[in-house]
Amino acid sequence: MDEEKRKDILERLKNGVVEFDEDMVREAAQEALDVGMDALDAIMNGLVAGMEEVGELFDKGEYFVPEVLMCADALYAGLDILKPHVKKEDIKVSGQVVIGVVEGDVHDIGKNLVKMMFEVAGFEVIDLGKDVPLEKFVEESLNANADIVALSAMMTTTMLGMPKVIEMIREKNPNAKILIGGAPVSKESAEKWGADGWAPDATNAVKEAINMVRGLKKEVMGEE
Amino acid sequence: MNSKERVKKIFSKKKVDRVACFSGMGNVTVEGLKKYDYAFYEIHLDAEKMANAACTSYELYGFECAVAPFDLGIEAEVLGAEMNFYTHKRKEDIVYPTVKKKAIENPGDLSVPEGIAEKGRVPVVLKALEIMQKKVGDDVPVATYILGPYTLAGQIMDLEKLLKMSFKKPDEINALLSSLADFLVELGNIYFDAGIDYLTVREMGAPTDVLSPRMFRNLILPHLKEVFSGVKRPSVLHICGDTNIIVELMWESGATAISVEQKNDVAKTREKLGDEAIIFGNIDPFGTLVQGSVENIRSAVKAAIDGGVDSVWPGCDIWPAVPKENMIAYVKAVEEFGKR
Ligand code: B12
Repeated sequence: MDEEKRKDILERLKNGVVEFDEDMVREAAQEALDVGMDALDAIMNGLVAGMEEVGELFDKGEYFVPEVLMCADALYAGLDILKPHVKKEDIKVSGQVVIGVVEGDVHDIGKNLVKMMFEVAGFEVIDLGKDVPLEKFVEESLNANADIVALSAMMTTTMLGMPKVIEMIREKNPNAKILIGGAPVSKESAEKWGADGWAPDATNAVKEAINMVRGLKKEVMGEE
Repeated sequence: MNSKERVKKIFSKKKVDRVACFSGMGNVTVEGLKKYDYAFYEIHLDAEKMANAACTSYELYGFECAVAPFDLGIEAEVLGAEMNFYTHKRKEDIVYPTVKKKAIENPGDLSVPEGIAEKGRVPVVLKALEIMQKKVGDDVPVATYILGPYTLAGQIMDLEKLLKMSFKKPDEINALLSSLADFLVELGNIYFDAGIDYLTVREMGAPTDVLSPRMFRNLILPHLKEVFSGVKRPSVLHICGDTNIIVELMWESGATAISVEQKNDVAKTREKLGDEAIIFGNIDPFGTLVQGSVENIRSAVKAAIDGGVDSVWPGCDIWPAVPKENMIAYVKAVEEFGKR
């Protein structure tokens, strides 16, 4: 397939995501398959590249929450078409994430953005939703054999559930890494409570998670 | 001049001895709960407990109002949502009620019942307001709040769906918000008829942290205007979060006064809106009131007053865990720096 055509399709996938145009994304995704383009290439360099730009637009205050949610829909529309065609050996799941908003807290807008960025980055995400009983984080992380447990809180009261979850997970599932965030949660609190990672926003959450998983893999393989 | 007279004058821009230290949102504190040995969850469900708790910040610290209820579920329940009050929690746990089950799947499913004064916890609130008036109503204003149409929509239907449909199906959302605005006008006026001194409309789900200023103008503002042209006065529009670029629109809503939080630069807001506007704000309810030192509180109060607020309001509900000394210092600082 010629490079020109590839570039054109990637551009349309990317723009379709940024402009939340599901039809444009679907058409471009179908065309990618028709011309025999590598599905993973289309996902990573088209859809995901688009979502990265969306993240930047959000951080800059040009996009707001509804825009980002619609971009995500456009991205998923493309993924539905492309994912079945990704070669098995190419799928490298970055890790298994269990995410949720801690008990007593219904603020889930931020958590949903973080979850989406995880999915975009190739993590497998189990979303426990909002107002999640603290023990449930422990159970589900064990069931799913999660690499990462991501906790979100938007209130200074509910945030105090985080150290409790961290303690329980340390006891019952010491292999899992814990990432915490949400507006009232500071880097200092994260350190004080013994979390493995903290991030101020969705884009950095994923970067932090990737570093944490690398650390995890190293530990398991006995390096360093 | 007592607090009630002072606040009344402030709402009509008349000359006062000093700015007031009050709020239109929840302001119960742990100290207040201790006074009656109440668990937090009890005060949402029982009129007498609600009323007693609502008066404690005046009684303990001289805070210049009594406001009930404390949660954001009253309207949603009337429209069919189910709440979780966390009644299984321990006495000392402060967990705010949340919507457990939404009322509608799609915007078109909304049906507003007849006789809303009898529905859900509205009778509890009305009874509480009556008790509050008897208890402290000669000294301080008694008030309550309703949600803004968009925030209420987010309480009764899936929020993500609402946010996306706001873009994709604005007509359906506009229709929903208009019906909600009518409902809120009816409810607000039921409260006025029960004798409240002012009503706050909390459109907290629509700051520019979440929605663009353009969407605020096109989708949120028209329905706020419906609410403010329908409810009696004085009324206050409160929006949490970053409001710097929408203060003109907030003022355009027709509310008697607007209230903003700490992310708002009140001096600039005053400059933009001019002298006629009534502006309340903008003390950080957690960073300053709970975590701050007495010195922090004093300088925040001074900054708000220097910035030109007509009264000092906290940026949201007062956080129950606020230390007693801080509340006392807060009220004192307003008395000291607010002289006119
Ligand atoms: C929208 C909103 C609501 C909506 C929530 C709708 C929903 N489903 O989410 C409604 C109206 C329901 C609501 C209710 C209440 N709210 Co409210 N609400 C807000 C508001 C205005 C915006 C929050 C938001 O969505 N921001 C936008 C998102 C994108 O940002 P974010 O959540 O911070 O997420 C980003 C980062 O934090 C980070 N992040 C988030 N999670 C995670 C997780 C991980 C692992 C990582 C790494 C990163 C990360 O990445 C995200 C993306 O970049 C804030 C004020 C504000 N401006 O912040 C108040 C606020 C959070 N609410 C507040 C309050 C008091 C309440 C109520 C208690 C009011 C009441 N009397 O009942 C109730 C709470 C009920 C309950 N028990 O939960 C207070 C909390 C104060 C405090 N000290 O804790 C705030 C701060 C307002 C204020 N100024 O005081 N609220």
